[in-house]
Amino acid sequence: MTAAIEAVAVGKRYGRTWALRESTLTVPAGRVVGLVGSNGAGKSTFLNLAVGLLQPTAGRITVLGGQPGRNADQLAKVGFLAQDVPLYRDLSVGDHLRLGARLNPRWDAAAAQARIARVGLDDSHRAGGLSGGQRAQLALAVAIGKCPELLILDEPVASLDPLARREFLGDLMELAADGLSIVLSSHLLADVERVCDHLIVLAEGRVRLAGDVDDLLAEHRVLMGARRDPARLPADQTVVQQNHTDRQSTLLVHTTQPVLDPSWTVSEVGLEDLVLAYMATPSATAYAAAPTLRSVS
Amino acid sequence: MLWLAWRQFRAQAALALGATVVVVVVLAATRGHIVDTYGDGGGNDLTGFFVWLRLLGTALIAVPALIGAFWGAPLLTREFEDRTYRMAWTQSVTRSRWLATKIAVAGVVSVAVVAVFALVFTWWSGPIDATGNRIGTANFAQRGIVPIGYAVFGLTLGMLVGTILRRTIPAMAASLAGFLIVRMFVQKVVRSHLIGTESVSVPSFGPSGLGGWVLSSGTVDAAGQTLSKSTAEGTLTAACHITRATEDVDAALAVCAQRFGIHDIAQVHTDNQFWALQTAELGLFVALAAITAVVCFWWLNHRTS
Repeated sequence: MTAAIEAVAVGKRYGRTWALRESTLTVPAGRVVGLVGSNGAGKSTFLNLAVGLLQPTAGRITVLGGQPGRNADQLAKVGFLAQDVPLYRDLSVGDHLRLGARLNPRWDAAAAQARIARVGLDDSHRAGGLSGGQRAQLALAVAIGKCPELLILDEPVASLDPLARREFLGDLMELAADGLSIVLSSHLLADVERVCDHLIVLAEGRVRLAGDVDDLLAEHRVLMGARRDPARLPADQTVVQQNHTDRQSTLLVHTTQPVLDPSWTVSEVGLEDLVLAYMATPSATAYAAAPTLRSVS
Repeated sequence: MLWLAWRQFRAQAALALGATVVVVVVLAATRGHIVDTYGDGGGNDLTGFFVWLRLLGTALIAVPALIGAFWGAPLLTREFEDRTYRMAWTQSVTRSRWLATKIAVAGVVSVAVVAVFALVFTWWSGPIDATGNRIGTANFAQRGIVPIGYAVFGLTLGMLVGTILRRTIPAMAASLAGFLIVRMFVQKVVRSHLIGTESVSVPSFGPSGLGGWVLSSGTVDAAGQTLSKSTAEGTLTAACHITRATEDVDAALAVCAQRFGIHDIAQVHTDNQFWALQTAELGLFVALAAITAVVCFWWLNHRTS
């Protein structure tokens, strides 16, 4: 299966700051992929590179086998919901659907119209007067009407109230069930946990972790036991995070093998704790050697 | 894309076309009065309301600058400021096509409005120009086809500045200033070199009777040798015994100059060259507009990312 997004040593610099650096990863197609990281971690930069709004300063990024934003064909394959949901204030809901129809060769008017009707939007409403949730739904309708193979959403639920957020994510899951590849960024881990089956964690412009959620959970363990030096763990166990009290050590380790040492109390890790551990891991410490997983698909 | 570009521009277009219709109707209704006033060979002057109508020429000079600042600059900066470019550029239309369509829509409306305004005003001013000078004065820019070139250049300059600055107010100011600098530089420095002048022989020391735009003039003797004005005057004074007591010195000098074959050669853009000069200046501004547009495309594709 072709990857949805293939990034090789991609970097993006603004002035003298690197927003994203040396990021190599493969985003599989046919999944709901969550891109998480704190503010400024490089999420938007990565997504904007994927839709061709930005050009990489270094490395190369391929989306559905083509160069992002290169030509009309490539643009037609990728639907995008930008951060803060930009809409034309003076244009009505109907105008936005007409815009989609005129600017996209594969426009599915029925699908877009049905989506608008379902969320109770009236064609004659001006986009400037819509609520955050309605704006997101309208933008989603335009992105869906385009019939993309890949849908990229940059913080789509950030401005939504909890109810609208739940509905919106439910809609995304329905779309994914129809076979659409989806990549969405969020700093709300609970949302990501609910809808995503593949995860990418960015911190300080670098990929910290990437993989299928099930694999990631299976490959990490929390070890608790009497205090000891983590350097003396077996070679297949890599420490992601460690906490020591005078007498006790708590380690989050990455390992593909069962933990055999009987002196450890071994437990599974929750997705949220796992993600937070990777987000918090400072890149400048010894943990920089922690594995950046490549998904195999 | 054409639909979107027109949908975003139609309000401004309607306003401009409406204003143009009003101007055309007023000028058409009042031209009879201009013919009556100037038709008998001049000497009369416009009064009251008609003086104000003549100031429409000043408005015609201002329109291209305003097109640049109020249409050209916001055309792109509004997309940047509202961040809607992210929606526009992620539909199935490339940035180049998006920009080309925007330029085309605003360009066609600008050209239509300015062309109609300029040509009708030229027609309206015909009787006035017949008694005056339309090539050697600021009137040149209020007549004929040059306003179309100014408008196209103003528009593309506004768009380029908007693409670079990405903010409306600074882009409007910069586009206005840039346009005025280029326009004035062309008018003061470049225009006289755009096409060749005609050499016209005129009597020295008399009324030249020259129309058109006199760029330079010098005195020559019968053999064609250049003389300074004072040398010529000294020679003629001696030859024809002209003294301070002579009743009309200038007239005597003129008669004397004619006797010795001394005359002036003037380099002139004559009134006959009006349309040639108009075409040349239009071409210059269209070329400037094309260069500006190319830079705008390049910037959007390579620097805006």
